Amino acid sequence: MHMKKIINDPAKYVAEMLEGFCAAHPEYYQQVGPQGRIIVRPEAPIAGKVGIVTGGGSGHLPIFTGYVGKGLLDAAAIGDVFCSPTTEQIAEAMRRANSGLGVVRLYGNYGGDVMNFDMAGEMLEMEGIESTTVLLTDDVVSAPSDEKEKRRGTGGLVYAFKIAGAKADENAKIDEVTRVAQKAADQCRSVGIALTPCTIPQAGKPGFEIGDDEMEMGMGIHGEPGVWRGKLKKADEIAQEMFDLIFKDMPLARSDTVSVMVNSLGATPTEELYIVYRYIKTRLDNLGVRIVMPLVGHYATSMEMAGMTLTICRLDEELERLLMAPCECAFWKVGAYA
Amino acid sequence: MHNGLTTDILRRAISSMASKMESCADELNSLDNQIGDGDIGITMVTGFRAMLEVSAELPDDIGMALMKCAHAFTGTRASSFATLFATGIMAAAKEVQGKKEVAWQYLPQILEHSIEKMAQRGKSKLGDKTVLDELAAIQKALVGIEDPNALLETADRAAAKALDEFRELPCKQGRARIYGNKTVGINDPGMVVVRELVKGLKEVHE
Repeated sequence: MHMKKIINDPAKYVAEMLEGFCAAHPEYYQQVGPQGRIIVRPEAPIAGKVGIVTGGGSGHLPIFTGYVGKGLLDAAAIGDVFCSPTTEQIAEAMRRANSGLGVVRLYGNYGGDVMNFDMAGEMLEMEGIESTTVLLTDDVVSAPSDEKEKRRGTGGLVYAFKIAGAKADENAKIDEVTRVAQKAADQCRSVGIALTPCTIPQAGKPGFEIGDDEMEMGMGIHGEPGVWRGKLKKADEIAQEMFDLIFKDMPLARSDTVSVMVNSLGATPTEELYIVYRYIKTRLDNLGVRIVMPLVGHYATSMEMAGMTLTICRLDEELERLLMAPCECAFWKVGAYA
Repeated sequence: MHNGLTTDILRRAISSMASKMESCADELNSLDNQIGDGDIGITMVTGFRAMLEVSAELPDDIGMALMKCAHAFTGTRASSFATLFATGIMAAAKEVQGKKEVAWQYLPQILEHSIEKMAQRGKSKLGDKTVLDELAAIQKALVGIEDPNALLETADRAAAKALDEFRELPCKQGRARIYGNKTVGINDPGMVVVRELVKGLKEVHE
């Protein structure tokens, strides 16, 4: 299939996107650093607050740069489409986020990102800047539960950004922000499905092929192989299998509280997400599980890929309070700042 | 005549290894294309060009000089191999910080430290058929040697031998792992990089 995108030049895809992104939302985003690949809050570093930094490849908006904002992230380093940012870009994002109280590196578990974030952490350590790591490993399909550390990060990032950001907003110390970020990460489980592939502009052809009448259960957001591929099923059957994969990994009991994210990978319309949410809500109701702040929409995408991810984040009192605390970026607002 | 590694020698080594990378970049890319992203040649060329750019301003403290090289190398391209390579340079930098000259006999010790750090960062181990196996073979062969000529000759032989031995084994690490037995009979691109760098070092000497 011929690449059909509204672009000028594949080589300028990220640069022109970031230019427009910051021009549209200057109150939230400022573009700085090597090759302009760091998006930082205009007011960063914020005195008295631990910095929170993320990063990863382009192609997932609002992840990663979109979640820079009040009560969320201080800075994000952004790479080419589906590619890690460089070590220097990550290091500079951390410097920009650091008010002197240290920086939490909060990102998804992908090999290249981990190497570059670790290296950046080592560089910053030599400059006397303290930093910690919290990795999202919420994709239950990507490795069995006894190898959880090998799992990829996906929609759970949004919950971890929100919860860590709220804790940092309370001027908590770095070990406390790290603790709640890790707790949030540990309580997230996700499953994705794909109906169509997406095309990296500089590659010019789709990342994988899939039949017109097919879907893939468990596929990763970059087209990593899933559990099975076969004929497209009905929404309730798909939702049931996704829910069961999560439930098997993280059993939920009566009186548990969760937040649920039904997220489009890009091309799948919000209407279809609500059809899926309706099923998930019934299952949780039947279990006696309370839902707070359901998130249905485009939170973590993969360009024009059709498909969706389901994330369930189990909340205790502390996590629920932090999830409900105010935040504000161009893509998401919770509550209101006094 | 120096009795060890100085920043001045480092400059010459960088320049000579950089030209080696320029001349074999295409070959490296096509080798990498069989089992990976196909960009290892570009990665090495870009990294060495970045080091060449800072070469003139490298400080006499060999540790600080190597640190500057590591920063330069990682600032250019987001590639796992570049990060791994720079990790090795940075580990060496920390070992020799504050020294203006490092006696040749300490090279194996420094290299051992670099290999250890690279293994941690890359989450791989010896025997996986990676750049680490090539470096480890060289490191082992160099222990106990003090003469720079003998060091280079020994490194050259060890590098060639390790490449031959591992060619017939399957790769067990990184993206190449997915190709499994298809990697038998093919050189690992990372190992070839080191092999070529050693050839480059021999040329600086000659």
